[in-house]
Amino acid sequence: MSHDEIFKKVQGVLVDALGVDDDEVTPTARLTTDLHAESIDFLDIVFRIEKAFGFKIGQGELFPDNINDPKYVTDGVVNAAGLALLKEKMPHVDFTAFSADPKLEKVSEVFTVDSLVKFVANKLKAGAPA
Amino acid sequence: MRWLWIDAILLHEPNARLVAIKNVSLAEDHLHQHFPEGDDGPSQPMMPASLMLEGMAQTAGILVGSVRQFKEKVILAKVTEAIFESDVFPGQSIRYDAKIDRIDDMGASTIGTISRFDHRGGGWIDIGRTEIIFSHVDQNRAGLDLPEHNFVFGENFRAILGGLLPKK
Amino acid sequence: MHFRLVDQILECGPDRAVTLKNVTLAEEYLQDHFPGFHVLPGVFMLEALVQSARLVLEARDRAKGDGAPRRMVLGGVRALRYGNFVRPGEGLRSEVIVDKETDDGSVVFRGSATVLRHSQIATAASAGSAISSSDTAVSGRFTMRLVRTLQF
Repeated sequence: MSHDEIFKKVQGVLVDALGVDDDEVTPTARLTTDLHAESIDFLDIVFRIEKAFGFKIGQGELFPDNINDPKYVTDGVVNAAGLALLKEKMPHVDFTAFSADPKLEKVSEVFTVDSLVKFVANKLKAGAPA
Repeated sequence: MRWLWIDAILLHEPNARLVAIKNVSLAEDHLHQHFPEGDDGPSQPMMPASLMLEGMAQTAGILVGSVRQFKEKVILAKVTEAIFESDVFPGQSIRYDAKIDRIDDMGASTIGTISRFDHRGGGWIDIGRTEIIFSHVDQNRAGLDLPEHNFVFGENFRAILGGLLPKK
Repeated sequence: MHFRLVDQILECGPDRAVTLKNVTLAEEYLQDHFPGFHVLPGVFMLEALVQSARLVLEARDRAKGDGAPRRMVLGGVRALRYGNFVRPGEGLRSEVIVDKETDDGSVVFRGSATVLRHSQIATAASAGSAISSSDTAVSGRFTMRLVRTLQF
């Protein structure tokens, strides 16, 4: 599947799940800040991507599990160990902007449409089972 | 007003599908305010769509709850889409046909069809559809002060749930 | 139960309305929703948005001077997300804004409602003071359409 085909399908998923218009779903659009996604929407998006592409997504694979653990978070700020863990678990996400101000409450803002497309591309390349 | 928006279960395919009906009757007080005589027209009792949404949510919620023997607190979290094409009037019956689309530890997504029956003819006619997501609350809301017991599936459901409930 | 989900109109115009609903244990259905954990049902939050939208539609019809107001009902819902619970002693502050009108005369609204808690009501000069978004009870889009009856 080409990058464009993946993008079109991901766009469709987000239009259905979030009730936004096609033209709002740009590659750099952030799910929370720009498309107004809330926590329940993340579950909806996982379900819809599973359906659209025919593979299973494990818990914490697309969107992170709760990392609110003193090992990784101090006073609401994600520390170096936490950041390393996030980067390792989420190779589809660009953490550059987040690293500058790594507040735990802002972690959901890292997800862009493009990070979803990257996730799907990685899964399909790895030949993920349905 | 009791908060039970389905009357009886017609079909249950465990972990897959639940079909329930609700009768609409002039005996229901709230229909007389929806709508009363006013500037916008004469008195016209009709089923509020928000309560049809609740009927489907209860049908789908019971279906989802039964998957884990009603141990999870299943809460309405999102209506991704609901369409009400046509309206329902006293004397008619509503049928809620809910199916589980996906379910995991965090919650479940369901799809449903709403249909209407009128004894004067026509059989069951589809009048709407829903996509509803439920949250398994205990898994999702650590820190919220919720009672221990499963308050979602209470006593008044038992009368219509019958054999679906695990033995006490 | 009286099927009225708007107790006060805080603001109302042809494009937008803000309303208040008080939640009280006097509302008997709360005993069933749920036993031992009384919360305003999510669909009643939706109905509060719907009844608020009807006020906007009346204002709209009045502004157009078209004659008798049309009776409009809920025709559809899109991406409606539920957040905080609303309990007895708390209030629901609903805001609805017209998004667009469609060719068949239906009107699409954006709606959201926040929880008003007692300390905020007691200290605010009016219930219209700013509420933080972390107190959102519901938000989404919905469509109001004309009543459709079946012909026999």
